[in-house]
Amino acid sequence: MMGLPLAFTEPLLLIGLVSLPVLWWLLRVMPPRPRRIEFPPTRLLFDIAPREETPSRTPWWLTALRLLAAALVIFAAAGPIWNPQTGAADSKAPLMIMFDDGWSAASHWDVRIRAADELIANADTDRRAIALVPLSEPNRDITLMPAGAARVALRQLAPKPYTIDRVETLAAVDRFLKATGDCEIAWLSDGVDTGRGEDFVAGLGKTIGDRSLTIFEGGTSAPLALVAAENAAAKMTVKVLRTDSGIAIGTVRALDQKASPIGEARFSFGPQDKETDAAFDLPVELRNDITRLEISGERSAGAVQLLDKRWRRRAIGIVSGASSETAQPLLAPTFYLTRALAPFADVRLADKGSPQQGITQFLDQKLPMIILADVGTIAPELRERLNAWIDQGGVLVRFAGPRLAQAEDDLVPVKLRKGGRTLGGSLTWEKPQHLATFAADGPFAGVVVPKDVTVSRQVLAEPDAVLATKSWASLEDGTPLVTGEHRGKGLVSLFHVSADMRWSDLPMSGTFVEMLRRVVDMSGYTSKPGAGVAGEATAETVAPLHILDGFGAFGPPPATAKPLPADYRDRATSDHPPGFYGPAEGPLAVNTLASADRIAALNTASLRARHATYTNAEPRDLRGWLLSTALALFLVDAIIVAVLGGGIAALLRRRAAPAMIVLGLLFASLSPAPSRADSATDDFAMKATSQTRLAYVVTGNADVDSIVKAGLSGLTLFLAQRTALEAGDPVGIDPARDELAFFPLIYWPIVPGAPKPPQDAINKIDAYMKQGGTVLFDTRDAIEAPPGANGAAQTPGMQTLREILSSLDVPELEPVPREHVLTKTFYLLRDFPGRFVTGQTWVETLPREDDEDSAQRPARGGDGVSPIIITSNDLAGAWAVRPDGQAMLPVTGGDTRQREFAYRAGANIVMYTLTGNYKADQVHAPALIERLGQ
Amino acid sequence: MAAENGHTAKEIIAIRRADGESRTLAASLPRLVLEARRIAANVIHGLHGRRRAGSGENFWQYRRFVSGEPAQNVDWRRSARDDHLYVRELEWEASHTVWIWPDRSPSMAFASKTARESKLERTLIVAFALAELLVAGGERVGIPGLMAPTTSRSIIDKMAQAMLHDDADRLSLPPSFVPAALAETIVLSDFWSPIAEIRTTLAGLSGSGAHGTLVQIVDPAEESFPYSGRVEFVEPEGFGVITAGRAESWAQDYTTRLALHRDQIRAETNKLDWLFTTHATDRSAAELLLFLHAGMQVSKSGARTTTIKAGPAA
Repeated sequence: MMGLPLAFTEPLLLIGLVSLPVLWWLLRVMPPRPRRIEFPPTRLLFDIAPREETPSRTPWWLTALRLLAAALVIFAAAGPIWNPQTGAADSKAPLMIMFDDGWSAASHWDVRIRAADELIANADTDRRAIALVPLSEPNRDITLMPAGAARVALRQLAPKPYTIDRVETLAAVDRFLKATGDCEIAWLSDGVDTGRGEDFVAGLGKTIGDRSLTIFEGGTSAPLALVAAENAAAKMTVKVLRTDSGIAIGTVRALDQKASPIGEARFSFGPQDKETDAAFDLPVELRNDITRLEISGERSAGAVQLLDKRWRRRAIGIVSGASSETAQPLLAPTFYLTRALAPFADVRLADKGSPQQGITQFLDQKLPMIILADVGTIAPELRERLNAWIDQGGVLVRFAGPRLAQAEDDLVPVKLRKGGRTLGGSLTWEKPQHLATFAADGPFAGVVVPKDVTVSRQVLAEPDAVLATKSWASLEDGTPLVTGEHRGKGLVSLFHVSADMRWSDLPMSGTFVEMLRRVVDMSGYTSKPGAGVAGEATAETVAPLHILDGFGAFGPPPATAKPLPADYRDRATSDHPPGFYGPAEGPLAVNTLASADRIAALNTASLRARHATYTNAEPRDLRGWLLSTALALFLVDAIIVAVLGGGIAALLRRRAAPAMIVLGLLFASLSPAPSRADSATDDFAMKATSQTRLAYVVTGNADVDSIVKAGLSGLTLFLAQRTALEAGDPVGIDPARDELAFFPLIYWPIVPGAPKPPQDAINKIDAYMKQGGTVLFDTRDAIEAPPGANGAAQTPGMQTLREILSSLDVPELEPVPREHVLTKTFYLLRDFPGRFVTGQTWVETLPREDDEDSAQRPARGGDGVSPIIITSNDLAGAWAVRPDGQAMLPVTGGDTRQREFAYRAGANIVMYTLTGNYKADQVHAPALIERLGQ
Repeated sequence: MAAENGHTAKEIIAIRRADGESRTLAASLPRLVLEARRIAANVIHGLHGRRRAGSGENFWQYRRFVSGEPAQNVDWRRSARDDHLYVRELEWEASHTVWIWPDRSPSMAFASKTARESKLERTLIVAFALAELLVAGGERVGIPGLMAPTTSRSIIDKMAQAMLHDDADRLSLPPSFVPAALAETIVLSDFWSPIAEIRTTLAGLSGSGAHGTLVQIVDPAEESFPYSGRVEFVEPEGFGVITAGRAESWAQDYTTRLALHRDQIRAETNKLDWLFTTHATDRSAAELLLFLHAGMQVSKSGARTTTIKAGPAA
């Protein structure tokens, strides 16, 4: 209906819409309900002659609202259906369904199949023949078939794991269309241009002429693809491609050979990005285990990137014979080698020491490749080990230099002449030589020969019959620059120049990096037997091992998969589907997309065609939506009428409390509760951290809480008057709910018989104490202690406190010793009185110091602040002041200065929690100054 | 019945609040009390002196000592001046009776949105405060049909108690009774009753020649008529309902009718030499109290005038 995917089951009922104008008129004349107002002088109004009462008109928008609701009801009655089952067109011509079945179609395969199914079903009702054309099979003949056969053929389709070339199918389509004549065409496109998309669109337009074409496109999320996995020095990166735009995020998973996950990396697309990077920040050993990267939730072969040993980073040991050169590290051969190898390998340098030690160390580490830069003589037993290591697959690369030129050993591929050869020197006629060729069968085959590399010194090989075969690179005069030789499973190679700039400028060129990469590629990633592939000839072919299907799952290789050369680096094709090839222990990975491949959205604008989307959803009955919307509108109408008539006001006046509760509940249910809680927490945090505050635990006993609050206020005032601490108002906290970390000191009054706090709170208190907070427990009942030696521990408050502390990790306690730093942090105190003087104050036991020095110290601090202080003197009671500044509670002792001392005790405790054992050091200041003076 | 209960509950709340507020008000008027005392002492020879000797506080005369009297009555100071013995006599004082009628009918519970308190609350505040002031000045205060005149210092409590335990109908106007000729009557009401009823009540109250004041306490909304749209007006005492299609067009007529009503009342009071004033609840209660107090002082001095007004002109 008019381009909208909307249809009605009972369109005749829409005639009911005609009645709306009548409804309009009716609604206009009906007056609203009057507001009812109590008005005492109403009797005066009786005397006012009633005027001409014109009916008050309903506001037009209210009428419109009601009409809208009525129209919605009529629409709902007509049975609207969204996404109805639509036939492609009404014709009797056969239907040709072109079906994209490359990897890019795999991600929403069932949607495409369902769309095709629907097309087939519609064609079936019209008794039309169907031709199903999967665009991946250019060689298949296109035939017309009945709907049943088409359905079977459709079921047999599976997405191909490689990139399909739609253009190749055009010839078959052309043939079929010429044979069939009139035909209707539907193209179930995946919307991805993987190469020759434009050609196909142009060719298709020419082929079909003016036959009707429907392109199904969109309606599903566009596919994602992975390319160009790279195991860089610090992390493994892979590019994620897409065709659509908009902000998107996702994750790439890394799996090892046994398909167990190794890591995940997130990627995110900016609004316009077509490609982005995902990076795995993992240790190199783990990264080397990655064999498969895939995009989570994306089921297609294109979203899988398989990695083989070429992606593994090898650890390469470098031993330099010239240890003295470390004086100029930027000119040393190790510097050039390290820089050249770093992009694709992990370089390990030998520790300081002799080259022999370095080699031994690397052999012990079982490194797959060792580079010896100008190492001369090698001890015979070490040479044996090196030879054995090479036999097992080790790759030894040597660089020439003054020491090598003088030495003689068999760890070089060719026999060397004694002494080097100098070119371009003052005593020679020859000019520095340029690099001429790379051997076609050597590892450097294909590397571009640089024009600017010159060699001024080299070591020369003894010419013999096999020199040419061992020579991988040679200079213009035919002398070898790099020679190499396979020995056992390993390899020995020699660069006839030094690895620094003295003999040639090769180490400065990009070719050097490329050459080293080729050499490194020939090494295994460990030196274990069999791991190395250096011995394999390049022309060898490898058979398929595991092959990806279109959805990106591994399966056995299909019959059509053919072996491929071991150096195959291209994208997968139908002959070589993506997967692993070759031996199970060192397979070769072939990916759906080559690293340079990019995908784009398919542009079909030039085709004259109807466009349809994959209707992602079933046909949806809209009646429920319409009716509930109408209901909501009626509800809104009722509320508006109530407001207009003053009903809400009356409701609020008469039933204020219930109405408020109802409204409150409404708002409470509407407003997101967590955010409120968050803001409350934030407020608390802001309040607690904007100023230093003393805190107390709210006991729930109103008397105790108010006294404690007044007490801490009094102490805060005292501190502000006497010390530098100007704290904010004290805060009452609930240890179960509030964050404790903001407070240096928490005062915890014990109410006898109070229930133990919940375990959560205990845990938080425990953490608070462990992290450096101090809790001051006050049982406030020293005066109730029964007489006797152990009386103080028998009070009900102590019993309750013991109950609370039973599940806390409390350190060993002792009464405050005379020399404890707590007695000296601000005032010099003997004891800590509160309202009572008899109670004992307990702190964490200080470590005993038995040596004489400490015995003389006037103060001991221990290492930290005691996490717990227990008293029973009711400190807060002594501190408590009324708003008018008078003391709230009397003190018991006879000493008139007891209250003053209680405040001083409070000041000392607060200073102790804030400054720690600082005063313990400070008391030595006179002695230190005196000592300095002498 | 439910509405009745609702009103009773509302009244109880109003009484409780008025109790506190009126004390504050009375306490906030010490200057007024002082002023009143000063006037009382200087102008009218004490509190309504009976111009004869008796029990009192103020000096009345010295008379010769008559033998047989207790010797302690002798005023030795005066007697020392000559050869006779004198007795110091004080003036016999009797207090004035003031009847205060606070209207507690349902219509008084009205409070529009702009008003801070209902008419009932304002009425009670003023009544309590006035009673407190009068009692402090030595007067006797009573509520017609509810509380006999008393000089108790805790007059506010007494009045509140009497009201709380009153289970009679809440009338708009005081029940028909005849106060003594020298008594003063103060009627605090909204006077929305028809003029005929007011006239009858007034005739009864002034039957013995007693004087008094009528105070019409109104809500600001009752003066400005701030209504618009389709409104159904309900008389709270059940005298009927009227629907205005466009209330805003009634405002003019209502104002005219209100003025007429007040003119009628004023005509009645002028005839009887009573005072009539209006007071809107958006004005300060102290204003009305000051006016009433002043009016009573004036009335006692005999220089009564009907031109004194307080509050916004009606």
